[in-house]
Amino acid sequence: MNTKPCSYEDAVTAAVRSGNWSPELKAHRDGCLVCAELTLVVAALASDAEELDAIDTPLPDPAPIWLRAQLASRERQYHRATRAIVWVQRAAVAITLGIGLAFVPGLWNLVKETFSSLDLSSPVANLPRAAGSPLLVIVVSMLVLGGLALWELTAQEN
Amino acid sequence: MDEAAFRHLYDRTARPLRAYLMRSCGDLALADDLLQEAYLRMLRSGFEGEDDDHRKNYLFRIATNLLRDHFRRKRSESDEVPERDESPGHDQAIHMRSDVGGAMAELAPRDRQMLWLAYVEGASHQEIARALGLRTASIRSMLFRARQRLAKQLQARGLRPELEVS
Repeated sequence: MNTKPCSYEDAVTAAVRSGNWSPELKAHRDGCLVCAELTLVVAALASDAEELDAIDTPLPDPAPIWLRAQLASRERQYHRATRAIVWVQRAAVAITLGIGLAFVPGLWNLVKETFSSLDLSSPVANLPRAAGSPLLVIVVSMLVLGGLALWELTAQEN
Repeated sequence: MDEAAFRHLYDRTARPLRAYLMRSCGDLALADDLLQEAYLRMLRSGFEGEDDDHRKNYLFRIATNLLRDHFRRKRSESDEVPERDESPGHDQAIHMRSDVGGAMAELAPRDRQMLWLAYVEGASHQEIARALGLRTASIRSMLFRARQRLAKQLQARGLRPELEVS
């Protein structure tokens, strides 16, 4: 009797599955503990598989699985599509903050100058020069846009 | 993969996959949950596969991973909670309708999975190794030992090799 893996295992497995035993293989199996055990195990598992295959309980409906997969896929696509927008918004906020911090002292002077020389009764042409400064316009615009981007970003994350 | 292809694959593979899951975890309801999760993960992964056999192997691999996660979770739960849940539906009360089910229930989950993949699904040693996360070279001897343990359990239940063959 053999107690180590046997070289006939593949042939015995195939014979159990097909039911075709050659006389030599049958003789070998009868004298080989490994192949006798293999025969028992393969035959038992095959009948168990048949029994399980025949159980009455219906399989889960595949339609909800497909639907859930589709929903998950759309959600993934949405996140992929909006990721770029979120990054642009974050960049806008960062640039705005950078510009704001870099120009705060100069901007403050401009604002002070504008308001100190502002005469509400005079026509637009007499507005102080600082009020039309491109720098002031750019910085204020950036701050407004940056603020909007920040608001949009926080609204989305909430 | 479109819906028709998915349904075709499901019709072809769901029963053997459920049998594998059920014999491995011993609980039909859990097997059905894991079955649905396996298909869902396959669809989410976008795996197309070369043919149905390739897709089937992939599904069995996902199912094996899900089983591994399940047993790991169960082990950590039983570490935390001293009283084990012995109620029917858990794998201690594994499907005892057949002698084979009872014998399989006595084996470690990995032995059950290995034996099922090898002798029911006809998976190669390489496929078994990939599914179970083991080295291909160790499968032969591990399978041999698992088979001996199952044969012992079957024999203890009155099944003998010579009865199975004639």
